[in-house]
Amino acid sequence: MFDDPAIAAAMQAHVWETAPVLALYLDASYCVAGANAQARQVLRGEALGRPLTEQLVDFNRSLDLPALIRQGGAVHQLTLSTASGMPETLGFRFFPLPAGVLALGSLDFQEQQKLRDEVLGLNGELNNLTRQLHQANAELRELNQLKNQFLGMAAHDLRKPIGVIMTYSEFVLDEAGGQLSEEHREFLRICLAAATGMKRLIDGFLDLSVIESGKLRLDLASASVPEIVAGVEPIARLMAGKKRISLLVDMADNGRRLRVDASKLEQVLLNLIGNAVEHSVPGQRVWLSSRWDDQNLVLAVRDEGPGIAPEDQARLFTCFARAGTQKTAGERSVGLGLAIARLVVEAHGGRIWLESIPGQGATFLLALPAQNQRTSQSAQR
Amino acid sequence: MNPPSPPPFAFEEAYRRYLDGLLTNNRQQCRVCFEQWLEATAELRTLYEELVRRSLYEVGDLWERGRISVATEHLATAISESLLNLTYPRLFARPRLGKSAVVTCVANEYHQIGGKMVADLFELNGWRGYFLGANTPVRDVQSLIAEKQPDVVALSVASAFSLDTLISAVGEIRSAFPKVPILVGGQAFRWGGCERVARLPGVRCLLSLSELEGWIKDGDNHV
Repeated sequence: MFDDPAIAAAMQAHVWETAPVLALYLDASYCVAGANAQARQVLRGEALGRPLTEQLVDFNRSLDLPALIRQGGAVHQLTLSTASGMPETLGFRFFPLPAGVLALGSLDFQEQQKLRDEVLGLNGELNNLTRQLHQANAELRELNQLKNQFLGMAAHDLRKPIGVIMTYSEFVLDEAGGQLSEEHREFLRICLAAATGMKRLIDGFLDLSVIESGKLRLDLASASVPEIVAGVEPIARLMAGKKRISLLVDMADNGRRLRVDASKLEQVLLNLIGNAVEHSVPGQRVWLSSRWDDQNLVLAVRDEGPGIAPEDQARLFTCFARAGTQKTAGERSVGLGLAIARLVVEAHGGRIWLESIPGQGATFLLALPAQNQRTSQSAQR
Repeated sequence: MNPPSPPPFAFEEAYRRYLDGLLTNNRQQCRVCFEQWLEATAELRTLYEELVRRSLYEVGDLWERGRISVATEHLATAISESLLNLTYPRLFARPRLGKSAVVTCVANEYHQIGGKMVADLFELNGWRGYFLGANTPVRDVQSLIAEKQPDVVALSVASAFSLDTLISAVGEIRSAFPKVPILVGGQAFRWGGCERVARLPGVRCLLSLSELEGWIKDGDNHV
């Protein structure tokens, strides 16, 4: 049947014009003298008239094209460098002709199908994983919100009885202390100190739950550096004095003002100074200083304590993270203060960071933008 | 004087460009249209129904009529599926009703976008829609049911050749979880087959996404 010239002509026309087969006519020196429509599309433009070997990827330069052609009807896997820039492997058969060689190359259909199925399958899996990831994130956000609500409620409910314990312990010490033995007065002082520590912890939880739930409200108002320091210095001197630490204040006042929530900023500075005092030994110094750069007010709290190891520095501003160094008088904390400080400073549009070399003290710095862009009284995270 | 308001978004024109992108496998063109649509509408349902579902039906129709190749159809589906990812930050942030569904395709069923749109439809209606994916073995479905304790399990079948596998999967799920309602649906039921699963206890066949949505919105959620 295939001897029929009409069939042969139809097959030739199909191969030459439309079939996804590469048909190349090579001259006696194996240069591409003719190419069907598919080959002209796939091969790089300059293929015609050039040796076929220039179109083949041959990393080892070991390809012996004449030897392959001499093998006649065998199928040889050859990789072409194509116009798209992607190499493509085809199965080639070579048919020697009186004045040249006919080269016919085609893709492995099953291999292509497998490749397509695998790529589509992997794409599907990737999409499913992306969906699961978004869903899990949404669920985690919901759980985090629930945690914040619980934390806020629990902290709020615990605050009142602790306030009662503190008030009545102070009351008994003040009013009836004289009638008690020194040992019993000491018991009451321990109760008071424990309740004070617990109140600090609960206040931290409350602050954190408010900030994390996105409900932090900043009451922004214009303030100068001396005004900010005035709210901090008396308490800071008291904290330092109790441990015989010298507090040195060096504030640059050039009359510039900035918009801040002064009470929250005072809380941040007192936390930093408190940490500096707690990590210092009696006789050492703590500095509170400020300077202006072009855009920011930079406040710094520096101490002469043991410093903070590089591996601890990165996580220090996250919740419940504590440096490996011990506080010098065994003071306790849960590691919320710096996390809260970071969130408050960031709510102001500023940033907080740390510079420390172990053994040479630590400096905590916070930069607050002079032109605070926030116009709302509410600064939500 | 108020500044001139921007012209209203031309949804039909964007749809045509999106469909053209799918048919020419132009992912970037599709992405631009999808993002513009997403920005123009606050209602995700419109995007699902009038862009994604409509275009996929049109692509499927063109394939059935021999106007496009199976490769083009597969790539169009893959593009649509990957673009659905852009809706997820909004989809999963919607308020929840406290109900959930486990949605999956049965073993040897490789067409998953229908099932994924079912899971997303549950999300659109305030349910959690957990989706397992194509070609999921029954034991994996059972594990997720045990973990999530869903209010319903939905099985999607695109190919009529998978109906026997579906019926067998329903039986296995039912024996492990006697009370969980099971919904089945998908393109496989276009030419019949519902009667084969409708007689199974606690199983309901739903023939379209709108039928499914009606079922979700019915507070009783009977099968």
